[in-house]
Amino acid sequence: MKREKRIKIYVAMVLIIMPIFLSGCWDSHELNKLSIVSGLGWDIDPDTGEVTLTYQSIIPSEIKSSSSSYGGGEPKGGSPLRTIKLDQDTGSSPYDVLSRYAQHASRIPFYQHTQVYVFGKEGVQRGIYPFLDTQARNPVSRPNALMVVSAEKKASDILEIQDGLENIQAFGMAAVIKLSATFSKYPAVTVLQFQNRLLSKTTAPIAPMVGIFEETGPEGEKSRKIRVIGTAVFKGDRMIGQLNERESSGLLWAINKIKIGFVMIPEASLEIVTAKSKIVPELQGDQVKITIEIDEESNLVEYKGHQDMNSDIVQELEKGQAKEIESQVRAAVDKSFALDADVFGLGDAVHRKYKKEWKDLKPKWDDIYPRIEVVVKVKTHLNEIGDVNKALIKD
Amino acid sequence: MFRLLSKKMRRWRTSSSDNQTQAKQNGSIRYLSKNLDGNLHILREELGQSSDVIIRDMKISSNSNVDAAVIYIDGLVDRNLVNHDILQPLMFNLQVIKDNINQKHSSLIDFIKSSVLTVGQISGTEDIDKVISNVLKGQTAILLEGVTQALLIDTKGWETRNIEEPTNEVSIRGPKDSFTETLRTNTALLRRKIRDPRLTFQSLQIGERSKTDVAVAYIKGITPDHLISEINQRLKRIDTDAILDVGYIEQFIEDSPASLFPTVGITQRPDVLAAKILEGRAAILVDGSPMALTMPFLFIEGFQNPDDYYARPFFASAIRWLRLLGFILSIYLPGIFVSLTAFHPELFPTQLLVSVAAAREGLPFPVAIEALLMLSLFEILREAGLRMPRSLGQAVSIVGALVIGQAAVSAGLVGAPMVIVVAATAIASFLVVPYADAGALLRFAMTIVAGFLGLFGMVIIQLEILSYLAALRSLGVPYLSPVAPLNIRGLKDTLIRAPLWAMDSRPASLESPDMRRQSPGQMPRVPKAKPSKREGQ
Amino acid sequence: MFLEKGRISNFQLSVLIIGFVFGSSVISSPGGEGAGHDAWIACTLGLVEGLLIAWIFTALTKQFKDKTIMEINSLVYGKILGKCISLLFIWYLFHLSALVLTNYGQFFKLEIYPATPKTLELLLLMLVCASTVGRGIEVLARLCLILVPLTILVVFADTFLLIPHMDLNNLMPVLDVPIGKLLLASHGAASFPFAETVAFLMVLAFVNKPGKVPAAVSRGLLIAGFILIMVVARNAAALGQMAVVTNYPTYLVAQVIDVGDILTRLEVAVAINLITMGFIKISVLYYGTVLGLAQVFNLRSYRPIILPVGILMVILALTNVGNTLEMLNFAKKGYPIYAIPFQIGIPLITLVVAKLRRLPQKGELDA
Repeated sequence: MKREKRIKIYVAMVLIIMPIFLSGCWDSHELNKLSIVSGLGWDIDPDTGEVTLTYQSIIPSEIKSSSSSYGGGEPKGGSPLRTIKLDQDTGSSPYDVLSRYAQHASRIPFYQHTQVYVFGKEGVQRGIYPFLDTQARNPVSRPNALMVVSAEKKASDILEIQDGLENIQAFGMAAVIKLSATFSKYPAVTVLQFQNRLLSKTTAPIAPMVGIFEETGPEGEKSRKIRVIGTAVFKGDRMIGQLNERESSGLLWAINKIKIGFVMIPEASLEIVTAKSKIVPELQGDQVKITIEIDEESNLVEYKGHQDMNSDIVQELEKGQAKEIESQVRAAVDKSFALDADVFGLGDAVHRKYKKEWKDLKPKWDDIYPRIEVVVKVKTHLNEIGDVNKALIKD
Repeated sequence: MFRLLSKKMRRWRTSSSDNQTQAKQNGSIRYLSKNLDGNLHILREELGQSSDVIIRDMKISSNSNVDAAVIYIDGLVDRNLVNHDILQPLMFNLQVIKDNINQKHSSLIDFIKSSVLTVGQISGTEDIDKVISNVLKGQTAILLEGVTQALLIDTKGWETRNIEEPTNEVSIRGPKDSFTETLRTNTALLRRKIRDPRLTFQSLQIGERSKTDVAVAYIKGITPDHLISEINQRLKRIDTDAILDVGYIEQFIEDSPASLFPTVGITQRPDVLAAKILEGRAAILVDGSPMALTMPFLFIEGFQNPDDYYARPFFASAIRWLRLLGFILSIYLPGIFVSLTAFHPELFPTQLLVSVAAAREGLPFPVAIEALLMLSLFEILREAGLRMPRSLGQAVSIVGALVIGQAAVSAGLVGAPMVIVVAATAIASFLVVPYADAGALLRFAMTIVAGFLGLFGMVIIQLEILSYLAALRSLGVPYLSPVAPLNIRGLKDTLIRAPLWAMDSRPASLESPDMRRQSPGQMPRVPKAKPSKREGQ
Repeated sequence: MFLEKGRISNFQLSVLIIGFVFGSSVISSPGGEGAGHDAWIACTLGLVEGLLIAWIFTALTKQFKDKTIMEINSLVYGKILGKCISLLFIWYLFHLSALVLTNYGQFFKLEIYPATPKTLELLLLMLVCASTVGRGIEVLARLCLILVPLTILVVFADTFLLIPHMDLNNLMPVLDVPIGKLLLASHGAASFPFAETVAFLMVLAFVNKPGKVPAAVSRGLLIAGFILIMVVARNAAALGQMAVVTNYPTYLVAQVIDVGDILTRLEVAVAINLITMGFIKISVLYYGTVLGLAQVFNLRSYRPIILPVGILMVILALTNVGNTLEMLNFAKKGYPIYAIPFQIGIPLITLVVAKLRRLPQKGELDA
């Protein structure tokens, strides 16, 4: 009796242990069977709602050969590095497209390193909800990926352009967007930030817009480059308008996203050292008054007047800065009213401060918003005037 | 089939108490007779006809009829001692002996024992077997006609290795002597470090045929008594043919024979041994082996190195961390690389992934196989380098391995990142010498598991290993002390090395009866400077 | 009493409790249901409630030193009724363990290994827990001493790295949800995970100095509670609204960390935390189940039933819910109510009855 029992136990143990060794191969993907998608382009046909996805995948062997030859990585003239390849598919919905991927690809797509999601202008105007749903529901991509709207009709146009400086186009594009955010020109918006804005009932999501420019190189050949040219404003999942360069800067000033950059006024250029902003709401009955307070410190980097520095001039420069900043923010505010989109998060600011009243205000927000009185107060301070305090040419 | 296995295991586990009784069957003592020739006949038979057994017939002084024989084994004895201090007094101290020649023979031997032989250790016996075994140990026996007692004189003096530098445990600042194969030399080396009268050596003889001398060394009052009695108990239980090396004893008395990690410490250096004894451990020295065992042995000791104590505390602490890091790296690195490459590419930073992916293009093997191949190759090289005759050893160095790796990369068999991973692992594995073997096995296990089940598998196996280590005990002390169970005082010597003036007490995990090691408050302080007369001018 | 010869110290007890409370809360924040971005307040209130409950059952231990809840039940209610109640309690522990396993399986299926069958992962985990449980409570406590500090380190490191991403505005306005909802959410936080420490009624019998047990338990709960509150608050601050929407906020928030392109993909540390802390929680519950069964049925040792119980646990974990949605619903709505009789009911009633019957009498302490 004991012997049989023991045998049964041994058999059971073997049956338990065996799966360990047969296992795991379900999830094991060799790296050279994966295609790393560095950028994904979404185009939604405005009429049919069909989704076209453009996959920009990395070709590792190209990277290998380009990196193993030092100094040979820079292209000469207009010949771009062939480190990426583009694939396209169309289907009735995102997952329909994804399921067709295998028809022309030799590898499994891998989205965990996707740096940018590019949305074609057409699709964006129709609404990008299919993307948002798949993104939130399926954890195949990262919350840090950047959202980009293409100024061209199709997203695929953007994904084709190879600048040449960065190995991989999508990485390059992501770097460009992040740099423009650092220089306080246009916001860089991650998927997470977009989602958060969407979830808030009142705030309008935004995303930077990228367009294509043609340039003539030193030897006369034409090359196409990408550039950030604006900020797209959404209502819900639809793009309803855009902010130009000035308005985008104004937006950044107001929502405290100024890092480094420059303020240009007629007489001088000033480098921003620090900038802080606060949105202060005030409720007066049904009327909402918002004060945007901005605090800025800067250094003088360029002075066009031919005069020696003195405190009067400094004060003038400070006033000039304040005026310039204020006008930028005003431009943004005006545009946001024109578009009827709360890009500043004013609704959330009111909610935070007046949580009891918010219950009543929220349903009426669409009426309240256009009537909001916005006051911009800017305080500036000029820190350094540079190495010289006398003019090189005096008037 | 399983039945056989379990039966075997049960047999191994049975206590050897029944075996011991068999050994005592030869309990009957054989006595010497008064007849010298008779005795010599028995002795010649027992000792065999070996050419190194010397039986020297002689007469005690030239005028007497007292026959005598001196028996020793050439090669084991110090010939000068035998010649000058045994044969010479016996043969030439005529006058003295003549005066006593007429006395009864029994007291003749007492007289010889007490006043004639100018030697240090001398004893007498009537037991033939004792004579035989002692002669085999290097003693000289003297038999007289008409006397039943034989004299045994300790004349050990065989060729031994000089005290050299330790080969396995290198210390830069510390003393550079290491144990040799002679027990007496080793106990002497230990005595030079600890001159306390309470340093005790308990001698045992283990091994049917080797009759190896084994000494248990401890300091009475510092080492807990129950430790000593437990060790003695375990040693007495050993019943085997021969103890050729300290490792034999280790495998018979350790707590966990199946464990990967040693529960018994081993060292070659007298200063290390002295330090461990002073902390409350017991040591076992074995004749014929240049290594000494220490018990109990805790996990943290593998990371401790004598240089730590001779160097300055900050540096020593940093090096400890480095060792821990290196050890962990040497176990995990290949596994992590395999699991990230095969299961979790999302965990690579993007640029790194591109490089790794680029390197993996066109490679024939799945990454797990590649890793195992490279690891095996490294182990083969390492073992070959160890065993190879010294003249060829240089060619098979780690640099050679790297060259092979590079060639493999160029041939497109393995990827460059893999070579780097394995090379780094290899070098890191030597940081912690006692666990190098265990580390190698764990490394393979981790890599295999990583190939099957990625990071999850690795974490699970790691949990199992930790669980096993946490349950392990060495002579009753939990293996992972002082981290688990936590002992704050004990932490002074784990991952940091507190300055010597702060280590007031012995490690608490060892439960020594005398915990005080030095007086507290000895941090060196600069005395307040009195303004010297010269500065005023 | 003969079933477990090991003893643990009070310090180990505290650490064990911290590990247990971290359990599966490392991934899914407690108190999130219905409280929105005020989840941290719900968590705090839940901690208070948890402390009260802890006070109840540690009082029980103080009354009956050296006895596990099974033995106490038998003493207080008489053999038959006591064993019935003990069996109910064992069921709670067993079921909870299976629930944790289910959580585990779902998380892994979603984020880490979509293709591997859950059976395997759960089986492996259960095997490791089984071998640790077989080694006794001492080993488990020692393991905690290593694993818990590492987890705490990771949590603090994550928090530190998230500072640039945190926006305190996300936590405003404070107390935005109606009080009723908040209290419900806080009770939810109490029942998962704080009051689950009632499982320790099986462990407290083996502590070195029984008198200091209430302090040790409180200490453990407080430390774990504070850290969890910090985690909840940090998740809300860094993720904004998404913290409420997602099922696994701690994991998501770790994906956001990206320092110089090197310190990135740190969510792996969070996943490892889940494995280790989940291991501790399951082991404690597993241990309680197995020890309890051995005590109720008067077995000589609990080792033979470890594996069978474990396999049953895995089976239950695989079959008890059809999909994640059912699990979520149960966790949010059903579980807080379902847990009340076990977390509050049994200890409280037993304590009251014991006091009324003036137990333990002098002689019974030696039983």
